[in-house]
Amino acid sequence: MYKKFLNLTKNLTVSLEKGLNFLTMQENNPLYFHGALPLYTFWFLIFSGIMLWMYYIPTLDRAWTSVNYITSLPVFMKDAAGNLLLKNGNPVVAAISPATGIPYGAVVRGIHRWGAAAMMITTVLHMLRVYFTDRHRAWRWLPWVSGVLLLIFVLFVGITGYLLVWDARAYYLVVASQRWLEAVPLIGQSLSTFFIGGDAIRDFTLTRFFFFHIGGATFIFWLIWMHFIRLHEPVVTPSRAVNFLTLGFILVAAGAFPAVNVTKELIQQFPVLIGDQGYIASDAPAQIGFLVEKIRYDAWYLFPYYLIEKVGVNWAWIILGLATILLFVAPFYPKDRRDNIAEVIDAKCTGCTFCSLDCPFEAITMQERAPGSKFKLIAVVQDARCSECGICVGACPFQAIELPNTHSKTIDGDVLALLKTGA
Amino acid sequence: MSEMTEKKPRVIVGFICERSIPIHEMIDAQKALTDDPETKIIILPCSGMVKPTQMELALANGADATFVCGCAINDCHYRTGNIMIRERLEGTRNPKLRKNTDKRKVGMFFFTMKDKRPFLDALALFKASTENL
Repeated sequence: MYKKFLNLTKNLTVSLEKGLNFLTMQENNPLYFHGALPLYTFWFLIFSGIMLWMYYIPTLDRAWTSVNYITSLPVFMKDAAGNLLLKNGNPVVAAISPATGIPYGAVVRGIHRWGAAAMMITTVLHMLRVYFTDRHRAWRWLPWVSGVLLLIFVLFVGITGYLLVWDARAYYLVVASQRWLEAVPLIGQSLSTFFIGGDAIRDFTLTRFFFFHIGGATFIFWLIWMHFIRLHEPVVTPSRAVNFLTLGFILVAAGAFPAVNVTKELIQQFPVLIGDQGYIASDAPAQIGFLVEKIRYDAWYLFPYYLIEKVGVNWAWIILGLATILLFVAPFYPKDRRDNIAEVIDAKCTGCTFCSLDCPFEAITMQERAPGSKFKLIAVVQDARCSECGICVGACPFQAIELPNTHSKTIDGDVLALLKTGA
Repeated sequence: MSEMTEKKPRVIVGFICERSIPIHEMIDAQKALTDDPETKIIILPCSGMVKPTQMELALANGADATFVCGCAINDCHYRTGNIMIRERLEGTRNPKLRKNTDKRKVGMFFFTMKDKRPFLDALALFKASTENL
């Protein structure tokens, strides 16, 4: 039943990809680079994040202001017809527009913001694609499990990014997170204290969130290493066309909808800003003790908080906990019969390393033979990692490694038998 | 009169990855393609398992041509099998075809499980290209 479901999803996925091949050509189909795309978008986040880091001040009274400083662009006054208002030949700058700011800071923050959305979207697509094509089970358990951890950490780093701007929404999220953590039996209060760095929200709280954000992003690199450790030559970059396409999407999104701090209240005060508001990334500055009733939810990172609002903290724990457990156990069920694992024929193995170099899942290691042996090395198959694909068999010029149920001699015999029967 | 002369039957040997085209539903009991009985099929778990020597064996023992068919490029179920066999047949990865092998008689196709028709079309073109060799 479950296998039939996986077959169905595989059929649908391949049909979708085949359809997209007509548009993009096979070599540039982004769905064939689903694993490389999250990593590619991650680089945008690293570089734009470093640029934002240069000006960000993680204290309660300066965080919002520093983000505002980064993202403020001069906003020019316009008349009713949409023409720029001029004074002595110069455009009139709106009253709320600060005189200083970082050039293109809103675009850099836009890259960070839209890059984060792109990373989550491509990560989820990657996961779905791997699952739907049944490429997550058995010998692939480590990439899958590390992938689930990556998903959790991408979510965590994304959420902490929302806290750093320290606006009304960030404060709401901190309070909701504390409620959520406090619902954990026995250690809930300690978790909550650890989360905000003490018994109350202070400057240390933002320092801690900053650490969570940067430290979490650094830990993602370690998880990526775990993700790749059993893959020979993992695809780490999409094709050039897909690279440029992704770059274009993020830059166009960041340029068209730069992340700025123009609040709804300010727009009400200065209606002229409506045409220049860009993407409203932040609300009014946070005020401790003043909790807004509703926040704007981001579909990619803030869904746990939406869940908390809708079903309460306990049910949110149960739903998200169950989903996480299901994701972690997915590669272990159903179990297939594994009776065709590659076997090395010791007497024929010359230690040439071809099989080890070509194995796509790092299942073959080369080990030293006993002193005095004719050859120095011998290939050793690690059964749990073997996919039974036979690529090592194709790589071996000495017929020294075989799949027991698909032996080369049997294939040679089949070839000769087919030729004997003729057309 | 020559038009009425029957063409000599040919034998093509194909090594096909079971996860590329839906090969199990395309062959008869004699392991010949139902759409093209001249083409005999060996089914393998992955195209990367094919040894160039097996293709040479087919040619040396009477096959008019031989080919391998794997998953679509960039989409091998086992990650790299199709790339491996492509590089082996192109001569950029060991083990390679022997230098004296007529490479015009060696074909390679890469298709998805939804590409039955494109595969048959590509095979027909390949067969036509090897007809007078």
